[in-house]
Amino acid sequence: MIEIGLIVRALLRNKIGALLIALQIALTMTIMVNAIFMIQDRQSQMQRDSGLDEANTFYLTNTVFGKDYNLQAEMQTDLNIIRKTPGVIDAIQINAIPLSGGGWSMALQHEPGDDKDTIGSALYMVDDHAINTLGVELIAGSNFAPEDIEWRASGQSTWPSKTIITKAFAEQLYPDNWETALGKTFYISQNQPMQVIGIMKTLQAPWNGWGGVERSMLVPFQMESQSSYYFIRTESGRRDELMPIIEKTLAERNKERIIRRVTTLEETRKRSYRRHNATNKILTTVVITLTLITGFGIVGLAIFSINRRTKQIGTRRAIGATQWQIMRYFLVENFLISCVGVVIGIAGAIALNMWLVKTFNLTPIGFELIVFGAVALFIVGQLAVLYPAKKAALIPPATATRTV
Amino acid sequence: MLVMNNINKTFQTGNIQTHALNNFNLTVNEGDFVSVTGPSGSGKTTFLNIAGLLETYTSGEFTLDGKDVGQLNDNGRSRMRNEKIGFVFQGFNLIPDLNLFDNVDVPLRYRGFDAKERRRRIEENLERVGLASRMKHLPSQLSGGQQQRVAIARALATEPRFLLADEPTGNLDSQMAQGVMTLLEEINQQGTTIIMVTHDLELAMRASRTIQVKDGRVSELDVVAEKVSA
Amino acid sequence: MFNYYLRLARISILKHWGLSLLMILAIGLGIGATMTTVTVNYLMSANPIPHKSEQLYYVQLDSWDVNDPFDEGQNPPDQLTYTDSTNLMKAKKAFRQNVQAQAYAVIEPNDPEILPMIVNARANSADFFAMFDVPFIYGNAWSNQADDNKELVVVLNKETNEKIFGGKNSVGESIRIDGNVFQVVGVIDHWQPKPRFYDITTGAFNETEEIFVPFNLIAEEKVRRSGNTNCWKPSGDGFEAFLASECIWTQFWVELKTEQDKDDYLNFLNAYVEEQKQYGRFLRPIDNRLSTVTQWLENQEVVADDARMMMTMSFMFLVVCLLNTVGLLLAKFLGKAPEIGLRQALGASKSTLFFQYIIEAGCIGIAGGLLGLFFAFWGLIGIETLYGDYMQNLATLDFNMMLLAIAISFFATIIAGIYPTWRACKVQPSHQLKSQ
Repeated sequence: MIEIGLIVRALLRNKIGALLIALQIALTMTIMVNAIFMIQDRQSQMQRDSGLDEANTFYLTNTVFGKDYNLQAEMQTDLNIIRKTPGVIDAIQINAIPLSGGGWSMALQHEPGDDKDTIGSALYMVDDHAINTLGVELIAGSNFAPEDIEWRASGQSTWPSKTIITKAFAEQLYPDNWETALGKTFYISQNQPMQVIGIMKTLQAPWNGWGGVERSMLVPFQMESQSSYYFIRTESGRRDELMPIIEKTLAERNKERIIRRVTTLEETRKRSYRRHNATNKILTTVVITLTLITGFGIVGLAIFSINRRTKQIGTRRAIGATQWQIMRYFLVENFLISCVGVVIGIAGAIALNMWLVKTFNLTPIGFELIVFGAVALFIVGQLAVLYPAKKAALIPPATATRTV
Repeated sequence: MLVMNNINKTFQTGNIQTHALNNFNLTVNEGDFVSVTGPSGSGKTTFLNIAGLLETYTSGEFTLDGKDVGQLNDNGRSRMRNEKIGFVFQGFNLIPDLNLFDNVDVPLRYRGFDAKERRRRIEENLERVGLASRMKHLPSQLSGGQQQRVAIARALATEPRFLLADEPTGNLDSQMAQGVMTLLEEINQQGTTIIMVTHDLELAMRASRTIQVKDGRVSELDVVAEKVSA
Repeated sequence: MFNYYLRLARISILKHWGLSLLMILAIGLGIGATMTTVTVNYLMSANPIPHKSEQLYYVQLDSWDVNDPFDEGQNPPDQLTYTDSTNLMKAKKAFRQNVQAQAYAVIEPNDPEILPMIVNARANSADFFAMFDVPFIYGNAWSNQADDNKELVVVLNKETNEKIFGGKNSVGESIRIDGNVFQVVGVIDHWQPKPRFYDITTGAFNETEEIFVPFNLIAEEKVRRSGNTNCWKPSGDGFEAFLASECIWTQFWVELKTEQDKDDYLNFLNAYVEEQKQYGRFLRPIDNRLSTVTQWLENQEVVADDARMMMTMSFMFLVVCLLNTVGLLLAKFLGKAPEIGLRQALGASKSTLFFQYIIEAGCIGIAGGLLGLFFAFWGLIGIETLYGDYMQNLATLDFNMMLLAIAISFFATIIAGIYPTWRACKVQPSHQLKSQ
């Protein structure tokens, strides 16, 4: 428009003030864009489905200390009692809990031998009630039959011959077509065969930060173990009511063991992602505060810069400029400064992003986010300068003639 | 006491050279009340700035109290201003955030006097201009004439060799202007040298000697050989 | 003169309270954010045992799969096999040595009123306590003989002693653990090194254990293991086979007094591995490591990536706040041009004025720093709440950090003020003094 050349020349005569605002805008954009980037990444991680019926499941730890404890009989009695409790859909014994941070993983391979490439997967020892208890969805094949379930002695090195795996695991085994995994055999502990009899849609591993978090396998093992988990699923809405009841029933039934850490899956998820959540909250605070500071900084500098030019502005009005034309001058001036700031900010945002991608192993930022950042900062700048520009427009033309 | 010999001051803006002062000569003796007058653009502002050591000159000699000013650096000029010159401005130029006591105090601080000495001088000079009772007030609480009086007190506090007044009554109505002029005359009678720059001829006549500046040069006004009685 | 400048600064700051508040707030936020993240990083990377950290060494041997390196070839495994730890202990080649593993146990108190409880345990050697300067309130560690004889002895921590024995001197008392009768030989005082450097495999900031028993009791199955276990090949059936396997689940620390001792020990380790190769073990190239506490903590990247990312962002945040301050100071000081011109006319030199306004900037800096400390205090509380047990007791501002905050704020603001002050003092007095 008409005034741009004028504005630019005026700015060049007062470089430092303009540069300060441009740099602030640049840095704010760099931080803001990348903070949002990190928040989005964390958010998407936190929203991943674990495969479980999280709203209605909970678990507890059963630790045995009695001397002559019949592990097998007692565990079966425990499970029967839980399963028969009104309001309970099903229950199983299990060796680890998804998203809890602790568990078992094994290395599996296509062929037997001690020098083959392996794929890691989380391993859950369960019985034929698992699919019903966990709430996972079987999308191919079938469940274990009751006769498939074996007992595992402490330190036993042999494995059952059947397994149910997740789709993600099948995809790793057979990248071209995961469905062909059904019925195939792979090898555990270097040379023990295991056949895939079923494929689940989703079941996450215990470690949410692990690259293989979507790879899990169910193995038909009941554990003769002194310490294991009982995993319980209730009817909708009855979980909280049943948790203390089941805890009490089990504890009273047998005093030679300790029942503790009765936890819901929802609590487990919250704890699992606690750091993600915290980081997100902090980053959000940083973005908001930063924007406010830059905004107010622009307001402050603009007010000062306008005060210095009071006479000049009054003179312009005396010569015939309208209030809107005065306002427009400052809006355009701010826009030009923001342009410089945004350009530097884009470079800065990309540079910081490269560092973040390298440190955290993420996918690089998308173009949309950078555009969003740029637009956001233009808006912040214009909003910030609105009040000072309005004040400038209100300077009476009479100031042109005043001398004091 | 103040001797300017062939002072020249030229400004260079782009390709144009402006001669603000042209072989300007002036001698002021102790106890004089000299007014410097002339139309706008005549160079009297430049003269004022040079006499006040606020600007440097291009060539010539300027001796103040026997000392050659041309040799001084920025620090030296600051010290001279502080010790030898008292300024009185058209716009009073009091610091609005400070009260009268602190305003008069400013040059004394740069002089390095101790607290007791400063207090004595401030009280004495505010008394002299009749404003001792309002020591703790802010300038905004005073009239124009009173503010100028405070400025005069500030100028006198350092016991300068001369007062340099720039249109001292320019922002005052006629009644207040009278008051200030009377005060200046009193001070001069008590022995302080005054150099006053003004474009008001009537005001200029109240000095004992008038210099006219035109195109950067000096000419004494013959008309004012005798003082015009008020 | 200094007091005069302080007074002038105060008057000026109060007069333009809006602008001053904006500056102080911006600086305070920047300093608060920076100090919070710097403190967290500082505490996470602090040396938990400074007077000894360079004499305590963590042992690593590369007993892993020849076809598949442990950590993509960067590091040897982070634990040792039972076989190797036991062999190293027997060789007794270091001044002090300790083999350990994390465990848990069920205590059945003699008092039937108190319910049986599960406690976190550490199975370790007698030297553990002397090596890591563990403070005792009653009794002391068991002897090396007790280790060798697999005696049923136990050291309790303060809280457990309170729960079971009411806090009295329980040395000599019996206590039933997992069905066996143990004898208490010592009670330790509250001890929580941050990070819990002696075992970071299960969590660098975990709490220290509630009871300590001799390591050999794990092999005797008198306590149960609960640490990490990694095996690169199947171990065979049963516990005996497990103990003899290539599964790694033990940790080995040595105390070596001099650099020469360290070299000697490393030579010993190399010779040991060479010898084991003859039995068909250690098929990988030799990669034995002795890391001091500080080296080990760094190697295991105890300072979380998150913490570092936030510290970087905080510094940038601080820079923005300072740029903001430069701008606002510029605005403020240039607005003082008439006063500056006047003071020059009255005899102030440019350097005098520079000093006066730098002091004003400094005052704003200190005010900003104090506000920043206030923000940092709440920031750290916020961090603790958000992160939970991970950060428990980690986040406190010690005196050094507080001084650092004020110093950073003061100097940063002064640097921010240099350009505005210089610009303002460049003003020509003559231009300011004419009202036209």
